[in-house]
Amino acid sequence: MITESTEEYLEAIYRLGERGEAATTTSVAKELKVAPASVTQMLKKLTKRRYLKYTPYHGVTLTPKGEKIGKEILRKHRVMQKFLSTMGLPKSRVHKNACELEHHISNDLEQAIYQKVESERPLPPGVPKSVTPLTGLLDGRKGIISHISGGRGASQRLADLGLTPGTEVMVVKSAIFHGPLMVCVRGTTLAIGRGLASKIFVRAR
Amino acid sequence: MSAAGKKPIRIALAGNANVGKSVVFNYLTGLHQHIGNWPGKTVEKAEGTLHFRGHTIDILDLPGIYSLSAFSIEERVSREYIAIEKPDLVINVVDASALERNLFFTLQLLELETPMIVALNQMDVAKGKGITIDVPKLQESLGVPVVPTVATKGVGLSKLLGKALKVARTKKPAKPLKYGREIEERIRKVTKLVEKIPIKYPPRWVAIKLLEGDEEIKKIVTRANPKITHIAEKHAKELERIHGERCSTTITSERYCVANNMARRSQRIAPAKKPTLTEKLDAVATHPAMGYPILFGIIFLMLFVVFTVGGHLSGFFEDAMEPIKGAFGGSAGELIGEGLLGGLIAGIAIVLPFILPFYLILILLEDSGYLPRAAFMMDNFMHKMGIHGKAFIPFILGYGCNVPACLGCRIMETERERTIAAFVVTLVPCAAVTVVVLGLVGAYVGIHWALALYALNLVIIFILGRIAFKALPGEPMSLIMEMPPYRRPHARTVLKETWMKAKDFVYIAFPLIIIGSVVLTGLKVGGLLEPIGNALSPITVGWLGLPAIAGVLLIFGVLRKELTLVMLATLMGTSNFGAVLTPTQMIVFAIVVMYYIPCIATIAALVKELGWKKAAYITVFEIAFALMLGGIAFRLLTLL
Repeated sequence: MITESTEEYLEAIYRLGERGEAATTTSVAKELKVAPASVTQMLKKLTKRRYLKYTPYHGVTLTPKGEKIGKEILRKHRVMQKFLSTMGLPKSRVHKNACELEHHISNDLEQAIYQKVESERPLPPGVPKSVTPLTGLLDGRKGIISHISGGRGASQRLADLGLTPGTEVMVVKSAIFHGPLMVCVRGTTLAIGRGLASKIFVRAR
Repeated sequence: MSAAGKKPIRIALAGNANVGKSVVFNYLTGLHQHIGNWPGKTVEKAEGTLHFRGHTIDILDLPGIYSLSAFSIEERVSREYIAIEKPDLVINVVDASALERNLFFTLQLLELETPMIVALNQMDVAKGKGITIDVPKLQESLGVPVVPTVATKGVGLSKLLGKALKVARTKKPAKPLKYGREIEERIRKVTKLVEKIPIKYPPRWVAIKLLEGDEEIKKIVTRANPKITHIAEKHAKELERIHGERCSTTITSERYCVANNMARRSQRIAPAKKPTLTEKLDAVATHPAMGYPILFGIIFLMLFVVFTVGGHLSGFFEDAMEPIKGAFGGSAGELIGEGLLGGLIAGIAIVLPFILPFYLILILLEDSGYLPRAAFMMDNFMHKMGIHGKAFIPFILGYGCNVPACLGCRIMETERERTIAAFVVTLVPCAAVTVVVLGLVGAYVGIHWALALYALNLVIIFILGRIAFKALPGEPMSLIMEMPPYRRPHARTVLKETWMKAKDFVYIAFPLIIIGSVVLTGLKVGGLLEPIGNALSPITVGWLGLPAIAGVLLIFGVLRKELTLVMLATLMGTSNFGAVLTPTQMIVFAIVVMYYIPCIATIAALVKELGWKKAAYITVFEIAFALMLGGIAFRLLTLL
């Protein structure tokens, strides 16, 4: 049985990793707003349970097992956050409530809520903020595909042409009047309609 | 034993678009080829025969595709052919200059467990890009023979055929790749279940497709045993949970990962020093300021060439044939002379002069790599009428003649996109309609009224295009297309393809045009025109406010739209239309002619591209729509 505080810790460490920060006792303590002493103890416990790996001088990193939980909880947190603010809850309470609810919703419920709120914001929760749609890249810039949120047929077609998650793409140029994008991927050049290109999310390089 | 006594060896060519597959095909088969459609599908099927070392080889050129997911009709046709018809060998033509993307498709072919060899084509292009490929290494990782070729120069093709014969004889099926452990485990489990049901595809391939959620394979398996589909779906869900993305995406990613590894291990790429020719050309051709003038220049040139060359040739043919037509006397003679021969002449006068130059230019543009650039530039504009950039070429052609325009809609990938494009194209006023609009409205009512009709037409195209976009079932497809490098067109391939395509059209259109012509002449000879005109008068006179004779004119217009004007002059005995029609009547008449029906040759083209049913729907809709619009225009104009 995973306790709420375990989940809370893994989420915080995942969040730090997403921002590119090392997870040390100090940074985790700051992230969770708790005393460094209790953090040290908890990190030890989590390492023993193989959620974390401890490297001297580099702090802790998530094991695959730990990463899965951390990512899931963070995703749930963001889904709940979006959901609560859509429901009209005051901003001050959204974060706090999301922090509580994230531990209690099932994957199915999270999926259902996500489907509902997704239509209002194309950027799915659980995806780092540094991710932008392909249309956000300037000509000549590169990005790594993080995910594609298009319909089944379109995503399959894009994947078939080499646009799979983790692939590097370069925007060669975009046509004027909001036209399509010319992109370079896996050594070939493709033209992609703007609507579809806006559903391809990349991490800018 | 003689070559004739042996069963011919069946070889299929498969590969991505723009890899030089048709060049290989044309080189191997020469003029011994036949282009038709796949039974019941509007996908081109090119077959040819060749004799090599005493063997007869039947070669089939499969459409150029990027994957074997059932995304497009072409992909479905290809995989069905390979898995069910089981050719003796598949030659996978691969573009050496884009190895990774091409190997992705190769890996999918391997999964179909068919005997196969790889033609590593465009070695010269790869060299130009600074890519060197270690062929033995690639051969080793793929597990099938690899033959480097330069098809445009015929290099390596006889070696390819030699290898092909050897592999076809041994019939050794290719070995599919292995996936990651968690996927492989589930593939194995599902494969075991699939092996128990009778199915024509390789079980492992079926298992993979089930995990990918392939609708068509799911249907086939469900029919045999719905439990298997269920279990596969469960496994797919598990994989989705592990990887956090659609199972099909995971499997596609894995394939690309393998392709990437293979490509990396077997090729060396020298860093590019200077921009390639394609990059330099693209800088101009898709430049925001220079690109559009170039595009419109090319379009203008194309229309100009097609219609001046076509117009001259067409007039020449008709003049030359005129004496023959008149040589038959009596009513039976008229039926033959005007009906049969007239139809034949109309056919020749349209097809040869217009279709041939049109195809030649279109294939030249396609082969050189410019067409995708035009689509890229016009995508946004075309989007407003519910289709994407690729439909721009057929759309513009429509202003010249709807027939090649409809045939050009073939470049759209999915049935849905093709249908919308063909529908939009038939609404575009062609040159013959322009004759009527300018000859009546432009000359007698005022040029601004004629221009207004064109503006209205554009508005209507946008509205109806949007409606078709919303109403047609299926997922709307945005523009996704490859931008191949520019190339010097390969003369032999271009000419041969032009000829084959034109020939193909003749078979479809000629019978319809001739039958139509004979029937109409029959009506005229039999004295049925007047009764028909009278029978139609509730519509023509009552609803549209036109003279009774309009019914007959409109019937003739089905054959060729400019005939409405020619017949009007003949039947009224004057070419001063101002004396016989009121301005309102002229406008209403022009509107009806503009929309009422695609001419018979266009209907033939629609049948060829979309099938009888959709062609009939479009025809009936346009008749109803024209009558409605004409009636409304009549009432509004009388109010003025």
